[in-house]
Amino acid sequence: MEVGYLELAVGSILISNVVLAKFLGLCPFFGVSRRTSDAVGMGLAVIFVMSIASAATALIYRHLLLPTNLEHTNLLGVLGLPVPEGGYVLILKTISFILVIAGLVQFVEMVLKKSAPALYRALGIYLPLITTNCAVMGMALLNTEAWRDPANGLPVHLATVNGFCGGVGFLLAMLLMSGIRQRLAERRVPKALQGLPIAFISAGLMALAFMGFTKLFGIAV
Amino acid sequence: MSDIVITYLSAAAAVLAALAGAFGILLAVADRFLRVPADPRREKIEEALPGANCGSCGFPGCAAYAEALAKGEAAASLCTPGGPAAAKRIADIMGLEVTGFVPKVAVVRCQGGGGVTGARFRYVGELDCRAAAATQYGQAACPYGCLGLGTCVRSCPFDAMILDAETGLPRVLEERCMACGTCAAVCPRNIIEILPKQQYVHVLCCNQDPARRVRQTCKVGCIACRACEKACPVEGKAIHVEGNLAVIDPEKCTGCGKCARACPVSAIGDFRTLRREAQKRKGEKQEAAGQKVA
Amino acid sequence: MSLLKELTDKPIKHNPVFVLVLGLCPTLAVTTSVKNGVAMAAAATAVLVCANILISLIRRFIPNQIRIACYIVVIAGFVTMVEIAMKAIAPEAINMALGIFIPLIVVNCIILGRAEAFASKHGPLASLMDGLGIGVGFLLALVAISLVREVLGAGTLWGYRLTPVAVGHTTVIPQYVPMTVLGMAPGAFIVIGLLFGLFYWAGNRRRDAARLVAVPAVPQVARDFPKPKKTPAQRPSEPRPSEPRP
Repeated sequence: MEVGYLELAVGSILISNVVLAKFLGLCPFFGVSRRTSDAVGMGLAVIFVMSIASAATALIYRHLLLPTNLEHTNLLGVLGLPVPEGGYVLILKTISFILVIAGLVQFVEMVLKKSAPALYRALGIYLPLITTNCAVMGMALLNTEAWRDPANGLPVHLATVNGFCGGVGFLLAMLLMSGIRQRLAERRVPKALQGLPIAFISAGLMALAFMGFTKLFGIAV
Repeated sequence: MSDIVITYLSAAAAVLAALAGAFGILLAVADRFLRVPADPRREKIEEALPGANCGSCGFPGCAAYAEALAKGEAAASLCTPGGPAAAKRIADIMGLEVTGFVPKVAVVRCQGGGGVTGARFRYVGELDCRAAAATQYGQAACPYGCLGLGTCVRSCPFDAMILDAETGLPRVLEERCMACGTCAAVCPRNIIEILPKQQYVHVLCCNQDPARRVRQTCKVGCIACRACEKACPVEGKAIHVEGNLAVIDPEKCTGCGKCARACPVSAIGDFRTLRREAQKRKGEKQEAAGQKVA
Repeated sequence: MSLLKELTDKPIKHNPVFVLVLGLCPTLAVTTSVKNGVAMAAAATAVLVCANILISLIRRFIPNQIRIACYIVVIAGFVTMVEIAMKAIAPEAINMALGIFIPLIVVNCIILGRAEAFASKHGPLASLMDGLGIGVGFLLALVAISLVREVLGAGTLWGYRLTPVAVGHTTVIPQYVPMTVLGMAPGAFIVIGLLFGLFYWAGNRRRDAARLVAVPAVPQVARDFPKPKKTPAQRPSEPRPSEPRP
């Protein structure tokens, strides 16, 4: 049951890259990756949001939704409210996750706008794009079905690290993609393939390359 | 439903309500203390603009124009695709008076495309007028006229141009033209101009060569015979021949069209009937779509 | 336009994947086989239609600032219902294959996008038709992609192995080794890229045919005019300095 930080890092950044292997966050990936400066801003914003959201959703999942067991307690049970056998997972997971993510990102955006306007101008504009996007929500859901412990999901500290690494993987993929796209813009691409089609094909070749990381360091995801 | 299910559902609803309430309070409090004064007019202006990002206002995109407008650094009537409707909306938001909005349209001031004038050499290069113009001054026999390779047609963001196969000339579909200026910017010979729709009469030739040379290259090129000058009824003449080419003074021109009829080579075009019909067609289309005629 | 016409127009003209470029994540993840694709499209369409109708019914009561949050709450409710229904009705294999992408329908740009663009501005019946139209478009896109990926990538169709079939002397289904990469991540990207290219190619042909009546590849050499007596001086084309350009 012990998952180490190295395994999380290598697993989320290289082996199971959020974009290239798990197909999360594709819309901003193809939308924002035309210029490297945009790509960096987007990637940093995603790292930021994914870490915070993973922490918050893991907290909620383990301590509000899952029924009490050896690893964690359910706060509702502590408060005296009835907790069914499967916990509230089935009915509340989706809606509570998205609620938490949306509210949290909105709050973070406000704090950022007020306290660090330069940072807000650099990556704040991508924040609304990330909220209603499968990248963050998908990562939060993946944390709950994590590798060796599908029953309980990752504990809060590991979930945060996993979210952070997922964001780093996203940034990596974005940087590579923007570099390729900037080069592609100067080349002669057949007319029907210009724009999105060649971007998809490039992403496919990148995914093929990343498949080479399978079983790196013996880590099986 | 059994009692247990009802209690669970109510507990779930209570949890959700508590979560939502907590976040609602958090956000409301944060809004109170973390509010940054922003110009709300900028967003309203951006909504009022058509969002085509064509750049005809001179700003890089609608957002930049909205920003400049909100700061008061730009005139409200610069958006040609938005037309008078957008100008009026902007003026309403900013509380200004809108003056001087002139509907414009692109005019191709040449009638001698490759199909009419012929070619000096066989051009086998990139099918782009700019490339052709850079190759030995262009393959068309007339050094001032249209090269007929359709760069302007392809550059139009509103699909308002068509390349005529026989003459090799681009034709402007006036119903669709938004006068954004892209075709004019792209033409290497600068024969496309964005002119007010109220100007009906245009000299459709840019050739500044003397008559002898023009006759060798183009049947419909201006030969500076001054017949148009003689025919013009306006005091002080609205049309002059300058540098072997007739030039219309838009301030004096009344659009009567006498010069167009007098021209022996038909180098002057009268767009009045064409535009009236186009306006009628547009009016019919708009009525069919249930809108008022602009 | 009549409601039925909307239903037939939308799947192609407003295809959510190929035209609106929305909902890419489930499209790529779930199209490993046609069965999964159809299941995903069914789930998404159910949510889309129900959410469209409800949002259209309550559109006048939603304050403008919080409209996105309200849409998300409505959509999340329907997604939870569909999630539970699928766990009960759908076969286990499909649930395993679709995985997290069922709850991810809640952030699927298609549904939020249509709520924002259509349901908030039209009545319930029109929103229902819109939901069905977009849903059918989504289904077509998913089936197209998963057909390629399953037949060429796994050698099966709807779960049935494609055995070589010959009718007389002609081979209807040849013997082939399936390209496993098409069933994996790179294959997904490449297949959808090529299908996008196909879509654009068809669209370009239609658009160019309308715009360019014909581009003369090489202008005709002058035939009508007498040959000049001596070589005329070739003047370079100069920009006319008079009118300032807008």
